[in-house]
Amino acid sequence: MTRRLVTMLLILAVVCPTQAAAQKRGGTLRAAFGADPPTLDPAQATDTTSSAVIRQLFDTLVELDERLEPRPALAERWTVSPDQRLYTFWLRPGARFHNGRVMTAADVKFSFERAARGKRPWVFEKLAGAREHIRGASGGISGVRVVDDRTVALQLDRPFAPFLSLMAYDAASIVPGEETQRLGPAFASRPVGSGAFRLREWVRDDRVVLEAFPNHFRGAPWLDRIVFRVIPAEITRFNEYRTGHLDVSDIPTGHCRAVKADPAFKGHVAVWPTLGTQALRFNVEKPPFGDSRVRLAVAQAIDPAAVVDGLLEGCVIAGKGILPPALPGHNPGVTAPGGDRARARRLLAEAGYPDGRGLPPIPYHFNTGDLNQRIAEWLQAQLKEIGLRLELRRLDWAAHIKVVDEGGAAMFRQGWIADYPDPENFLTVLFHSRNVGAAGNTGRYRSPELDRRLDEADAMPPGPARFRRYHEAEQRILGDGAWITLYHYSSRALIRPAVKGLERSPLSSAPEMLAPLRKVWLE
Amino acid sequence: MPGQLTSPYLVADLAEPALRRCLALAPVLFGVSLLVFALTAVALGDPARAMLGQRGDPELVQQIRREYALDAPLHVRYLTWMGRLLQGDLGTSYHQQRPVAEVIAERLPATARLALAATAAAVALGVLAGIAAALRPGSLLDHLLMTTAVIGISTPVFWLGMMLSLLFAVWLGWLPVSGYGDGAWANLVLPALTLGAIHTGTIARLARSSLLEVVRQEYVQTARAKGLGEAWVIGKHALRNALIPVVTVIGIGLADLLVGAPLTETVFAWPGLGRMLVAAVGQRDLPVVMGAVLVFAVIYVGANLLVDLACMTIDPRIRRRGR
Repeated sequence: MTRRLVTMLLILAVVCPTQAAAQKRGGTLRAAFGADPPTLDPAQATDTTSSAVIRQLFDTLVELDERLEPRPALAERWTVSPDQRLYTFWLRPGARFHNGRVMTAADVKFSFERAARGKRPWVFEKLAGAREHIRGASGGISGVRVVDDRTVALQLDRPFAPFLSLMAYDAASIVPGEETQRLGPAFASRPVGSGAFRLREWVRDDRVVLEAFPNHFRGAPWLDRIVFRVIPAEITRFNEYRTGHLDVSDIPTGHCRAVKADPAFKGHVAVWPTLGTQALRFNVEKPPFGDSRVRLAVAQAIDPAAVVDGLLEGCVIAGKGILPPALPGHNPGVTAPGGDRARARRLLAEAGYPDGRGLPPIPYHFNTGDLNQRIAEWLQAQLKEIGLRLELRRLDWAAHIKVVDEGGAAMFRQGWIADYPDPENFLTVLFHSRNVGAAGNTGRYRSPELDRRLDEADAMPPGPARFRRYHEAEQRILGDGAWITLYHYSSRALIRPAVKGLERSPLSSAPEMLAPLRKVWLE
Repeated sequence: MPGQLTSPYLVADLAEPALRRCLALAPVLFGVSLLVFALTAVALGDPARAMLGQRGDPELVQQIRREYALDAPLHVRYLTWMGRLLQGDLGTSYHQQRPVAEVIAERLPATARLALAATAAAVALGVLAGIAAALRPGSLLDHLLMTTAVIGISTPVFWLGMMLSLLFAVWLGWLPVSGYGDGAWANLVLPALTLGAIHTGTIARLARSSLLEVVRQEYVQTARAKGLGEAWVIGKHALRNALIPVVTVIGIGLADLLVGAPLTETVFAWPGLGRMLVAAVGQRDLPVVMGAVLVFAVIYVGANLLVDLACMTIDPRIRRRGR
């Protein structure tokens, strides 16, 4: 036992000698958002900006580390029953809300039942009795049971391997019921959580200021304050960083290569893979894309590597699969059609459209954005080579999702960022027939065989066998031309060398979303 | 004496047109509200779906539509909104879950501050440049000032803002790059100059041409013949009349700026109404869009009224015509 302890201490000393010695208390971290968070209520948020602040203000039962493994947070430990349906969490003693009250298991039940009727009910729908509660048919979620003040048991309808990741999601933050009732809708502007930081000031469209919460169950964070400025133009954020007014910033579109090569930013640039995929998608109910040969012809006619190298300056990750490389369960051996124009022409001819003859111009829908526009134009040029004519249809985000969700677009851009790190969040959400439409399956792809495989995989216990089942499903989808991956997302950030302890989690879909900031200190 | 500000008739002269304009406000606002409501109703995009981000649960979308009465017939929705408006309620923002009046009121000070500063800069620079150019028509100074004015009018605001920011904030480090800065004057300089650039150019050109026209009039020639100094002739006699069209442009320009300047506000991260409205349109936050447009209409009508009153104060002939 002693020898093991000594070994562990030695490993720790080798791995993080400077970190432990250098941690300094105090200072303000300055970062920026592109938009004002619409809400700071975990039950109402649906955007990443709101989530970025919520993650600092609130705690969840568990949290995911940099390797996306669940770690204790408000729950100091938990057990999972052999049938994978009962999760029991033991809460930390003495964890307090910002109003000073000690958190109890009843707060967990209250928070889940409240959030289940919020904007992200799907986070809780795996819990027994949750669907009835969400629909308003019951007054609570029967699957959430308060055992005692420090113990809460969560019963699932059926096994769901990524359940712990859901419990780490910011929608599952624990809130003090008395404050939500006292403040009503104003809770979204004056949130009270138990996180390492509490809200000090929120000047709409200008800044959100957080300050250290000294009574956090882990102790006060290193930073005194965090200032999130709201700066909509990426070039302005970049200039603020250049002039020393931000400690963290994104790299503007089109500047990635130049910034990387600039000696002034040596030691500042950080690029890491995140859990998102940019793709082309077809509505298989709309001709000619009901025919897999046409879909595959499109896939063969384009070479996504050109987008990665040309339009994105090599600052994203090329990939063939649906699952991004940073996702647990990613299949490095996945194959997808692409880059074979002769084969593309043959497929078109087999489908009855030799050199595109007989096909009217195909509308390609995408949402506004400089990069999306350039990708659309590139795509138009690529497909012209095999005789397909694309008509570019640019809409703003709200209009785009309406057209796409309702099946009005035959071929369209789709980006997807993981809500939680599991293949289910990509494959089942995006391709299962029960999710046709706004729920995720915007391609309206229906395959009973695929549904069956996905259902089986979703219910399997975590492990390689489950991942293998997803690999089969992914390969099947790609082989059917239902999805064409253009690239996988990465976070491209400028981080001042004095900023230490900033985790580069694959879940940080943008630099300002870096979490948790309680670990950050300034040198 | 023409234009005597202490004239006993002045208040009575101005009260009537002011009252007429205020009465005209009601049908204008009604028309604007109807038009904007119709436009937002036919615009593609579902507010309920837009609230839910990348993953929209269809049942929840329907539930939200019911909650916000988005599934009600258009005329019912309009009448409901109008009924609340008549009670002084602009509604609640779909996205922020806060009263629209509060959302707008938060941005008004920043917008007003920027609009007034931009107008002040535009008036000061524009009128001075216009007078300087008109005093020496055809000179090098005239050409230089008028060319600069045309450049000011034709330069895209977004580009100008970025260039000014690069020069004065990034390279020289004299001013902040962006932000409201809790109302610090330094933060106001670049956005005000950027936003005022178009108006500076317009005012300069108008002031020049108007002054040139006035100085050729007989009463100015008479003043000169009486032996009055040039500064007195221009300042006391010519400028007063020359400024009438300029005042009109200034007033309408101020109204333009008060309803927000999304591009300038975006470049300089200024928390104003323009950015708010653009974001609300993108999110299909209809109550905010409707509320903002109504406030803008009031500002426009108010600015027009002030312009008319200013013109009447300066020139009594306009007052008489108005009777």
